[in-house]
Amino acid sequence: MKHPVFENSVRQLVWWLVWIMVALGQSVLFYYVYGSFIRISLVESFVSMIVYSGLALSIWYPFQYFNSGETRTSVQLTNIIIIGAITVSLWILLVKIITGTVVQEGISYNNYWTTTLPYRIGEGVFLYGLVILTYYLFISLTKLSERNAKAAKLESLVRETEIKMLRSQINPHFLFNSLNSISSLTITDPEKARDMVVKLSEFMRYALSRKDEQPVTLQNELDNLRLYLDIEKVRFGDKLITEESIENECLEFKIPVMLLQPLYENAVKYGVYESTGIVNIITEAKTRDRALQITISNNFDASPRLRIGTGTGLLNVSRRLELYYGNKASISTAKENGIFTVKLIIPEMQN
Amino acid sequence: MEKIRTIIIDDESPARELIKHYLTELDDIEVIAECADGFNGLKTITALKPDLVFLDIQMPRLTGIEMIEVMTEKPEIIFTTAYDQFALKAFELNAVDYLMKPFPKRRFLEATKKAVDKIRSGLGNKKPASHLLEKKPDTGAPVNRIVVRKGNAINLIPVDQIRFVEAQDDYVMIYHTAGKALKQQTMKFYEENLPREDFVRVHRSYIVRVEEINKIEPYGKDNHLAILKSGDKLPVSRSGYKQLKEELNF
Repeated sequence: MKHPVFENSVRQLVWWLVWIMVALGQSVLFYYVYGSFIRISLVESFVSMIVYSGLALSIWYPFQYFNSGETRTSVQLTNIIIIGAITVSLWILLVKIITGTVVQEGISYNNYWTTTLPYRIGEGVFLYGLVILTYYLFISLTKLSERNAKAAKLESLVRETEIKMLRSQINPHFLFNSLNSISSLTITDPEKARDMVVKLSEFMRYALSRKDEQPVTLQNELDNLRLYLDIEKVRFGDKLITEESIENECLEFKIPVMLLQPLYENAVKYGVYESTGIVNIITEAKTRDRALQITISNNFDASPRLRIGTGTGLLNVSRRLELYYGNKASISTAKENGIFTVKLIIPEMQN
Repeated sequence: MEKIRTIIIDDESPARELIKHYLTELDDIEVIAECADGFNGLKTITALKPDLVFLDIQMPRLTGIEMIEVMTEKPEIIFTTAYDQFALKAFELNAVDYLMKPFPKRRFLEATKKAVDKIRSGLGNKKPASHLLEKKPDTGAPVNRIVVRKGNAINLIPVDQIRFVEAQDDYVMIYHTAGKALKQQTMKFYEENLPREDFVRVHRSYIVRVEEINKIEPYGKDNHLAILKSGDKLPVSRSGYKQLKEELNF
């Protein structure tokens, strides 16, 4: 860990200002203690503060060393006391030697020194306490912010992975069945086969694109969903029809890429796959109160299914909304009169 | 030589077209029908009694596997399916073959030849196709419906209407809110595929919906009787009693 005082110039300035204040304080204190003002008291105070400041700067190193490991509290405490004793004695000794050689006052200075000595010791201990407290505070804050930074980094990593995972769930059924349809069309209708290969490629390119988490416009997303539905229409023929009612001002609205895909997959899976009649998938989009409202509905066969769906698709979408928008977006579903409806409300993207 | 009468069952028309196209090369095969869903498929099989069926698994109303469960006819089956959560290996030995979509022509012809040989040699299925299914593909999720046959009618019983299941030799009798139905299946299947939180196997021969139980009375030395809301009395074995105890916290 770098020395906290030397980390930036503001801290250095504050550090020296504090010591100047303390020096002035010492002069005033000793004036009251000694009863009169001696000529050199101010000089002496500054000398003693420069010495103390130097000592205080250097105790950072042993202090930090004792605090870095898993040292027991009792050991730490002992260390602090020992260092404190050394610091205070060294300070008094140094000040005495330095001022003693600088100032040739003899008796009057000696009197001054003797009278103020107990106060000096008290002051030294007090200052030592302050310095240790400051260092201790600094170390705790640094540790805390390091921990926070680590936690934040971890969280964003988890989020990123999750987002990637959530969007890469293309139904393999769809892929293999589409390829089978193409295989068939190459014989019966090569033109259509080629068309489908292109559509499937475009769809896959969009789905797999690693430009990734860049939001896309609703227009982009709808274009891609049309590709998807077109491919399914080739597989299921007249059984699948789609209707759209999209207000123009929605088209530029930004949403996460592939957000709506699972909802259409559901509509196809629970509508078209399970029904013998015609299934109509209706998409409506409009903006209200600066939020996008999308409604996707499909009719379905009400007879019991082999297995209950796991809800993965819906969960997937709602989880992604949560990751992107917190609680500002919403998703709700309704089943009424053989029609399944899912409604999304998506707020404007914040950067 | 008589032609092999074949039915193609798949809900996607391009998939049916492909099989039909491949079959045009084989002179001794005649496609007598095509179906786009399970119900229709089953009806058609019963009516036409084909020799060979190309069968998709994932289809509306009745899956290919459920169809086999209630089939009384004995056609040879070739499964055709895309990537599937169904553990197809379980069928490998039972069906003539299975084809993963999209399949190459060579693979298709190979499977078909196998079926033709089997039919021609008279080594075809001696038993109804439902015997093919000794193992149920494991998908993890509990089933939501049981398909049963009553005469010519096919019924889907929603699992939430099942009250209890009783073993009867090679069959099980399913008691549900609208009556009862016999089906050729094992108790093990029901033990594994009914939702665990709703059903308990109280006895070697009985699996019961927990909320159907009205009270439990001691019976004999260390056995018990479960009295159902309907008044039915089912024996409870010692291990069944222990499981009930856990389930009901008494």
